[in-house]
Amino acid sequence: MESKIEQLRQEAAKAIKDVAGTLNDLNDIRVKYLGKKGELTSILRGMGQLSAEDRPRIGQIVNEARQQLEQLIAEKNQELKAKEMAKRLASEKIDVTLPGRPTNHGHIHPLTVTLMQIKNIFMRMGFSVEEGPEIEKDYYNFEALNLPKDHPARDMQDSFYITEDILMRSQTSPVQARTMEAHEPNSPIRMIAPGRVYRRDDYDATHSPMFTQIEGMVIDKNISFSDLKGTLEDFLRQIFNKDVKVRLRPSFFPFTEPSTEVDISCVMCKGQGCRVCKGTGWLEILGAGMIHPNVLKMSGYDPSKVSGFAFGMGVERITMLKYGIDDLRLFYDNDIRLLEQF
Amino acid sequence: MQVSIKWLHDYIDFNETSDELADKLTMAGIPVENVVHAGEGLEKVVTGKVESIERHPDSDHMFITQMNVGQPELVQVVTGAQNVKQGDIVPVAMIGAKLPNGLKISKGKLRGVPSNGMLCSADELKMDLTTLTDEQKDGIYILPADTEIGIPAKDALGLDDDILEFELTANRGDCFSVFGLVREIAVLTGNTPKWPEIKANEDDEASTADMIKIGIEANDLCSRFSARVLKNVKIMESPEWMQVRLENAGIRAINNIVDVTNFVMVELGQPMHAYDYDQIAGKSLTARRAVAGENLHTLDDSSRIAKGEELVIADSEKPAGLAGIMGGLESEVTENTTTVVLEAAAFNGASIRRTARSCGLRSEASGRFERGVDETQTMRALDRAAQLLQDMGACTVTKGIVDVYPVEKEPVSVDFTPEQINKRLGTDIPAEMMVKILESLDFKCEADGKGGYHVSVPSWRNDVTFMEDLSEEVARIYGFDNIQSTTPEGTMVQGVQSPLQDFIDHIKITLTHIGLSEELSFSFSNFDVLDKMLIPADSPLRNAIPLMNPFVEEAQLVRTSLLASVIENAVRNLSRKNEDIRLYDVAPVFYPKSLPLTELPDEVVKVAGFMCGRRNPVGWNTGDDMIDFYDAKGVVEELLARRNITRYTVEAGEYTAMHPGKTALFKKGKDIIAAVGELHPQVAENFGITKKAYIFEMDVATLMKYSSAKFNFDVLPKYPAVFRDLAILVDKDVNASDIEKTIIGNGGKYFKRAVLFDLYTGKQIDAGKKSVAFTMLFQSNDKTLTDEEVDESFNKIVAAVEKKFDAELRK
Repeated sequence: MESKIEQLRQEAAKAIKDVAGTLNDLNDIRVKYLGKKGELTSILRGMGQLSAEDRPRIGQIVNEARQQLEQLIAEKNQELKAKEMAKRLASEKIDVTLPGRPTNHGHIHPLTVTLMQIKNIFMRMGFSVEEGPEIEKDYYNFEALNLPKDHPARDMQDSFYITEDILMRSQTSPVQARTMEAHEPNSPIRMIAPGRVYRRDDYDATHSPMFTQIEGMVIDKNISFSDLKGTLEDFLRQIFNKDVKVRLRPSFFPFTEPSTEVDISCVMCKGQGCRVCKGTGWLEILGAGMIHPNVLKMSGYDPSKVSGFAFGMGVERITMLKYGIDDLRLFYDNDIRLLEQF
Repeated sequence: MQVSIKWLHDYIDFNETSDELADKLTMAGIPVENVVHAGEGLEKVVTGKVESIERHPDSDHMFITQMNVGQPELVQVVTGAQNVKQGDIVPVAMIGAKLPNGLKISKGKLRGVPSNGMLCSADELKMDLTTLTDEQKDGIYILPADTEIGIPAKDALGLDDDILEFELTANRGDCFSVFGLVREIAVLTGNTPKWPEIKANEDDEASTADMIKIGIEANDLCSRFSARVLKNVKIMESPEWMQVRLENAGIRAINNIVDVTNFVMVELGQPMHAYDYDQIAGKSLTARRAVAGENLHTLDDSSRIAKGEELVIADSEKPAGLAGIMGGLESEVTENTTTVVLEAAAFNGASIRRTARSCGLRSEASGRFERGVDETQTMRALDRAAQLLQDMGACTVTKGIVDVYPVEKEPVSVDFTPEQINKRLGTDIPAEMMVKILESLDFKCEADGKGGYHVSVPSWRNDVTFMEDLSEEVARIYGFDNIQSTTPEGTMVQGVQSPLQDFIDHIKITLTHIGLSEELSFSFSNFDVLDKMLIPADSPLRNAIPLMNPFVEEAQLVRTSLLASVIENAVRNLSRKNEDIRLYDVAPVFYPKSLPLTELPDEVVKVAGFMCGRRNPVGWNTGDDMIDFYDAKGVVEELLARRNITRYTVEAGEYTAMHPGKTALFKKGKDIIAAVGELHPQVAENFGITKKAYIFEMDVATLMKYSSAKFNFDVLPKYPAVFRDLAILVDKDVNASDIEKTIIGNGGKYFKRAVLFDLYTGKQIDAGKKSVAFTMLFQSNDKTLTDEEVDESFNKIVAAVEKKFDAELRK
């Protein structure tokens, strides 16, 4: 009996070891020896015919053989599974160097990107964003800004007129007067006003009949020229980089006194002098000044009680300098090969 | 305004180089735009005399010259110039010269003949061509016959002087003069000006007042009119030094009289005019308004018909000149002139500006009047001019000046306290320093005993009328660099933008996420575009606002259609072979309340989009599907969903530039919230678009009106959903959305949603029919649904659909 069991065990162990095919083949062997009608199982079934003293001994031998075979099957099972996985993995290989499937996504216009950045910087400084009409009254565009008719400074801006008194606004400055009018006289204001403006300029690499400006204004008690300087330096270091040098030059605008042009060290050559800065190392970036008392008065503010500063800048120019774009017309050309880069 | 360094040096010493001086002036608010280093590149150019000239044997246009350049040996130079002859003295660039245009001169042969230099033209020497005659500009520049031979050409040409080109601001009329600049340089360098003595010697017995009558009729346009008479005038060339000074100031030398009036204008800033006395009818000159219709015959020999608002200087019969702009032809000083009337006057800047603009005549004189001249110095200017001409021996000067000055200008007085200025500047400048700065600029400061000052403004500073103006004077001399940087203190204010701005930013972000790119277009349009868009004659979109002065014909209107702009940009892209286009624009269009405009128009912000080309980017695995109507509609639906706009209806309709059979209108009641459709084939043809394209347009204010900021999230279901599919055959022209509405209306309380997942027409079904399939989702928040419960709902839906659309259930 024992030898039969041993023979069966060896036979089964060899069969398990020799399985080269699939998990099914292994299962067949399990059924053959260990299944309900398997050869080893039938020995257990035939145990009734054994003597009482043989029964436990034979039973133990069979169970040991069974456990050993089950162990072998489990090991073989692992081995076959690993093989099958390896085979599957090998068969599933792909060319990972093929390009990925392109996604569809759009792009925000570069000028809007800059505009959003500028708005964010000023909003963090507590500036609100105001707007005004693009078709504007001559009064707001010029007169309320201390630019009466026939003022020579009107020449700086040749405008598109619609009637004698209505024009395409040539600057965002009219929003200054409109914002003051909308406020209680002498109440504090911190605002920027971005928007499209229109001038009768040639359409070339640096001029356009329509472009984007941002106007800014701060009014409160005790606002000084040094505040203007600090605020604009802070802004310029955020929009360009923290190392940019800022220079203020005296200038003239009818709506501010004192007035200043603000230059930054050339972002292309770091102030060494290049084609972009015409060798000067400086780039003119915005105009600013302390609001002229006449401008405050005309909009109902009292220059003896409050003071303020105002500034204006071109979004195109800032964007051109940030990205090294050398032709302003590209912005309004809207070639998707340009738009897709932003 | 441009002026040479030497002219400045005539009246003040300074050690700064031209560039250093330019920088100092710029940083003090007198902007120097450019420094011309005259003579740069002319180091090896000398004067040479053509000793002989002969034709090149192998060329029909070249000559071989033997040049005397002051050396023992003649130098052989081959030239292509046609205007040189024996005996001429010309500039010769020697071997090793590097000319201003970058040309290097080296030894060489021209068609086999050795050439050891080059004869130069004015352009090659970088001379100021505006001051030269055509004859001088063409070919080799011929020097005067008495020019020394072998000297540096830049000395002979007066090119040994740097030139400062100013871009002066509109407020500083006083700096449009050498004297004005010298005053500024004195303050900036601390040096003292060396003013010339100005004195005319009245050596003629005749009395000016007896010879000429001066009058002012238009008091508002002319505040002072002074005149002198010069007799025994000899018209000739002015001396070389004066010609060079003028040429370096960008003014062409003409004759001694004209040159002197220009010289005094540049030196003092006071424009002048000279009349031929014998041509003045009635021997009187009056500043008056032109009579409408009067003929204005000016120096440039053009005739203008007066509008009646121009200021003219008239003799007893006719206008003798447009005041401050251009003299009259009849009274022009010519070589036959023997007696001259010199005018120095102060005209109203605004009036001069208006007239100069409307005539298209801007001159050195009108530019100065526009900015305002110092009316106290008219007599000084006349004396200076008389003195200069007397020094040339060109005239005698009659006794006295006729000066009409009805209201003498009072000196302007401004008060300030140092605290006011320091508060405005954010500085701590001591009072003494402020006073020192202002006095150096010739502002007379007088302490008021209470810590403040009365300031008397110099006559030439028309721009200073407020304390704030004084603060600028202090700041620009103190130095903007020396002012500290601070942060505004005071009331806390909230940094926000308007809900409309937020909404627009969100629209842009959503459309960009969906795959469209933003464009920015001009707000202009034209009638041709409106025609191409098939906009009917009676459409309000035809009511576009015309510009009075468009810059080109294509931009004569302010746009009423944003779709047109988007289409135009798409066309430009298509023409460049950018075939796959998804563009959008968010921008205002302009609707006038009435035309011509009497009040500001409505500015209405629109969103417009254009899509054509491939659905997916080009790739090996992205297929060749092209964008269709439903891609564009999907964009609109997604945008509305993201802005929380729900419960709208969609119906077929018509819209600008859209295919009438392929246009969907999204509606809330009567309001159209969006329109999407295929680009009308005729519009496509009009714009030259050959492929199918889809467009959409929305109105931002309308979107905002229906956009709900309130957003409630749906609790995730605890119990499983049950799906049932419904496939039916219906007539082809039944709208899918109507079936969906019926399903929703009959779904019962467990119905959640239905999704159209299949649409089929074709072989297996009757012509005239289509198969539509929805998958429907049923779910309860309280329990797991039983089959019976779902079947009940489903059967109700089936019955309703069958009844309403005569649908046949497909099994």
